[in-house]
Amino acid sequence: MSLKDSIRSTTVADRILLIFLLFISFFSLLLTKEVLSRSKEVSIEVDGEVRYIYPLDTDRKVYVEGSHGHLTVEIKDRGVRVTDSSCPNKLCQRQGWVRAGAIICIPGRISVTVGGSEKSKGVTPDAITG
Amino acid sequence: MQSQDNYRIALLSSYALALHGLESLIPMPLPWIRVGLSNIITLMALLLFGFRAAVMVTLTRVTLASLFNGSFLGPGFILSLGGGISSILSVVCVFTLLPGVFGPVGLSLIGALFHNLSQLLLAYALFIQKAEPVLIVCPVLMLLGTITGLVNGLTTDLVIRNLKMSGISLHNN
Repeated sequence: MSLKDSIRSTTVADRILLIFLLFISFFSLLLTKEVLSRSKEVSIEVDGEVRYIYPLDTDRKVYVEGSHGHLTVEIKDRGVRVTDSSCPNKLCQRQGWVRAGAIICIPGRISVTVGGSEKSKGVTPDAITG
Repeated sequence: MQSQDNYRIALLSSYALALHGLESLIPMPLPWIRVGLSNIITLMALLLFGFRAAVMVTLTRVTLASLFNGSFLGPGFILSLGGGISSILSVVCVFTLLPGVFGPVGLSLIGALFHNLSQLLLAYALFIQKAEPVLIVCPVLMLLGTITGLVNGLTTDLVIRNLKMSGISLHNN
């Protein structure tokens, strides 16, 4: 008796159940991924205070004027980048597209964070220095 | 007859325990993902000796395994007991209410599905109480459970076929 016999002897109900379960789990896997990425937000903070919150799935360009400089943020295809900034070394621009995490412009005291909206969950930093 | 039944249950439970211990040696990306090799023995007990033997083997395996690895009465024990009981009961229901519709593979898939779903439900009700992480993990567990359920079901079928071929008397009469 070999594995082939075992595979051949599965009933019709066995096979239907297997295909059904595979279909359901793949489908719900895709569904949760979609829902998770949709709930993401981009928050832009100036001097440690939230200035703007945008959903990650709508494309737009934002000009942010800070107390020590300005930058332009572009949201496109569920990613965020800084296209233009007033700082000298342009580190934030060189960071490129970000899908999770943060872009922080220290000279301009502006930070762009991608992720679940921390503020709305009541999680705030202990203190912000500088 | 009674003592022979108990002897069989003890033997099957020790096989299940051995497989349970063996599979903890298989490296897994996450600690709570298991192949569930011991369910091969549970399914064999059900198909060869009936549901009483299968339930007893499950209870013995879960209790003794948790005593051996030190998680007795802990959260892991509650989860595996709940998963074990609900999976064997669901399989017994399908096996007795719809005889002959599902083979070992189908029964194994049903057992794996109910095992995962009831564990997630228990974890949600007792420990996590947040819907989001449970909903994220659910499809992953369902997919893995389907794959391991398929492997276990085919193995069970293979073992039972070979046992019957070798002419060992399996039934009481």
